[in-house]
Amino acid sequence: MSPDDSCVRTLACPACGGTIAMRAAGYTVTLACEYCGTLIDATNPDARIITRYHELQAFLAIPLGMRGTLRGVEWEVVGWMQRADGWATWEEYLLFNPYAGYRWLIAQNGHWSFGTMLTAAPRLDGADAIVAGRRFTVFYGGNSARVLRVAGEFYWRVKIGETVRATDYVRPGAMLSLEQNDRERSWTLNEWLSGKEIRAAFDVPPPPAWLPGMTPLAHQPSPFARRIKGWWPIGAVAFVALLLMLSLFGATMQPQRFSLSVTPDGPSVSQTFGPIVLPLARQAMTVEAHTPGVEQGWVDVDVSFVNRKTQDRYDAYALNEHYSGQDSDGYWSEGDRSQTLKVASLPAGTYDLVVDAQAHHWGSSGSFAYDPSSGTYKSDGLPPVEVVLTVARGARFLSNFWLATLMILAPPLLMLLFHILFENARLAQKDGAPADADDWWQGMQSP
Amino acid sequence: MQSVACPNCGAEVSFRSPALPVRVCDHCRTLVVRYSQSAQAMGEAAVLPFDVSPIQIGTQGQCFDQGFTVIGRVRWAWDDGAWNEWLMLLDDGSHAWMGEAMGQFMALREVELDTAPLIWGLLNGGEAVPGQSGSIAGHAYEVADVRTVRCIGCEGELPFTAPAGWEALSVDFRNADGRSASFQKDRHGPSLYVGHYVTLASLTPRNLRSLPGWSLHPHVA
Repeated sequence: MSPDDSCVRTLACPACGGTIAMRAAGYTVTLACEYCGTLIDATNPDARIITRYHELQAFLAIPLGMRGTLRGVEWEVVGWMQRADGWATWEEYLLFNPYAGYRWLIAQNGHWSFGTMLTAAPRLDGADAIVAGRRFTVFYGGNSARVLRVAGEFYWRVKIGETVRATDYVRPGAMLSLEQNDRERSWTLNEWLSGKEIRAAFDVPPPPAWLPGMTPLAHQPSPFARRIKGWWPIGAVAFVALLLMLSLFGATMQPQRFSLSVTPDGPSVSQTFGPIVLPLARQAMTVEAHTPGVEQGWVDVDVSFVNRKTQDRYDAYALNEHYSGQDSDGYWSEGDRSQTLKVASLPAGTYDLVVDAQAHHWGSSGSFAYDPSSGTYKSDGLPPVEVVLTVARGARFLSNFWLATLMILAPPLLMLLFHILFENARLAQKDGAPADADDWWQGMQSP
Repeated sequence: MQSVACPNCGAEVSFRSPALPVRVCDHCRTLVVRYSQSAQAMGEAAVLPFDVSPIQIGTQGQCFDQGFTVIGRVRWAWDDGAWNEWLMLLDDGSHAWMGEAMGQFMALREVELDTAPLIWGLLNGGEAVPGQSGSIAGHAYEVADVRTVRCIGCEGELPFTAPAGWEALSVDFRNADGRSASFQKDRHGPSLYVGHYVTLASLTPRNLRSLPGWSLHPHVA
C-alpha cells in the first residue's frame, strides 16, 4: 500500500516470512509476528529479530487490525499479550487511535475491561487510592504479573517472561492497577464493560451471567444491585397503584340500610329486602351486620343475595355476640356487636337480600316462662334485638392487599439475597484486611 | 514573517518566529541558519521516518492560556524507542515544546536552571536514578527516566541546529499531579523544561494532520 491511502505499513517477518502489519508507525518499538511469535525491533529500519520463536498462531478473540468504537472513539487492535500471575491468566489487547493514543482491553473469564493509563498518580489515603473523587480499596497486593505470549505491536520493548509487581485497587465497576519494576511505576484505570458495550464494539460474546458458586472478578459490579435499584421505582408505582385501586374499587357505594328485630330465644326471623340493583358485570358486596342491643347473648345472621331472575344465591353468615360482667378484676366484656361480611364477585342483576336472624340469650338476667306450645322454657320480657344491615357495593379485601404487597416486595428481596451471595464471593478474594462495611456499601453503588 | 532563499536549492524559506535562527528547508532538507539578513547552510537534516502522529507543522490550538502554532519538530530516539518534540510558537512570541511519546502529550517550557540539589547534581556531572525524588521549580518530582538520546531528524523552525546523530543526556521527571519536567544536557550545554501532561482534546487543536483511514476524533475535530 502506498503511504497516501493508509497509515498501515507492512513488512515480511524476518523469521517466518509472513506479512505483518505495523499500524502505529513512529510509536511502535516492538513487533511480535502474529504467525510465529518472533519479536522484531521496529525502531530498526531493517526490522532486526530480537528473539526468534516458533509458536503456533495464537487464537485471538479480537483479531489484530480489527476496529471498534468504545466510549465514542474508534480504536484499532494493534497488539495482544497474555499474562499471568500465580492465580489467574488473562489477555490484554492494545488499542490505538492516532488522535487519542493507546488504551487497553483486558479480557479475563469472559469479562472485558477498558484500561486507560493515568498520567497523574492517584492520591493514596491509608489502604485506599482516590482517582477523580472515586475511592478504590486495595484488593490484591504484591502479585507478580508475567508476560506469557505476545502478538502485534507495542510502544515499548516487550519481553516474554518480563515481570512486574502488581497491586490492584478495586471498586465495583473499576479496578486501579499499579504496576512497577525497578525503572517505572505506572497506574492504569480499568473500567468494567457491560456485555452490550463490548459486543457492540468488537463483536465478542457478552460475559457469562453470574450464578451462585461462581467467582466474580474483583471489580465486577453486582448485577443485582442495579436490579434492586431499578426495582424501587417499579415497586413504588405498583404500590401506589395498589393503594389507588384499593381506594377506588375498595370504596363502598350506594349503601342501603335495612333493619329487623328478633326476640332473644324467640323464633328465627326471616325477612326479604330489596330490590338491590347491581349494575356492573361483577362486583363485590359488603354487608355490615350491626346488633347494637345484643347483651349476654348472640345473634346468628344468615344473609343471602338472591338473584330475582336466576334465583342464584350468594350466602354469608355473621355471628354477633356480646358478654360482659364483673369479676375480681373488675368489669370485663367480650364479643363483637358488629361484623362486616364480604361477598366477592356478584354478577349484574336485581337481587333480594334474604335475611334469617335468630337471637339467643345466655345467663341469668331476664325471666323465663314455660311455653306450652313448644314445651320449652323461654326467656320472657327481654327486649327484642335490632339487627341493622347496611348493604353496599364494593369491598376492601385486606388479605388481597397484603398478598399484593408481598408480591411487590418478593423480587427485590430475592435479588438482595443474590446480591449478598455475589458480594460475598467477590469480597472473599480480597487480600489482607477482610471486607468491611465500606466494601459492602460500595457494592450497592454499582456504576 | 521573514523569507530567505535556501542557500542550497534556492527555494523560499520563511521564518515565522523572529527569534529562531534555524529552519529546515522543506525542499532539500538543508539546515538553514540565518544571520540578520543572510542565510547559511549548515548541513542536511535526516529524512524523518514515517509516523502516524496527529500533529503537523501548522497545527494550532490553545496551551499555556494562549494560542499556539506548531512550527518545528525534532525527533529523538533512544535504544528502546523514539518520540517527537514539537516546537510551539505561542501568541506572546515565546516558545514551548510539546513532547509526544507513547500516545501521550506533555507541554513544556524552558525555565532557568534550578539550583535545587536534584538539578544541581546533574549539572555537576552527577547521576540520577529512576525513582529518585527531588524538587524542581518548587514542585516535588520523581525521576521517571534517564537515557542517552540521539536526534534522528527534524523539520521546520528550530532554536538550534539539530543534525542527525546529535546526542544528549535526557532525564525525565514526573509527579503525582500530572506535572512533568525534563533536563537535557548536550554539546550546547544544559537546559531545563517544566510543564504538565495534556490531552490532545484539551488543546482544542485545529489543522491536525489528517491520517488516511482515520476520522478525526470527535473531541479534537
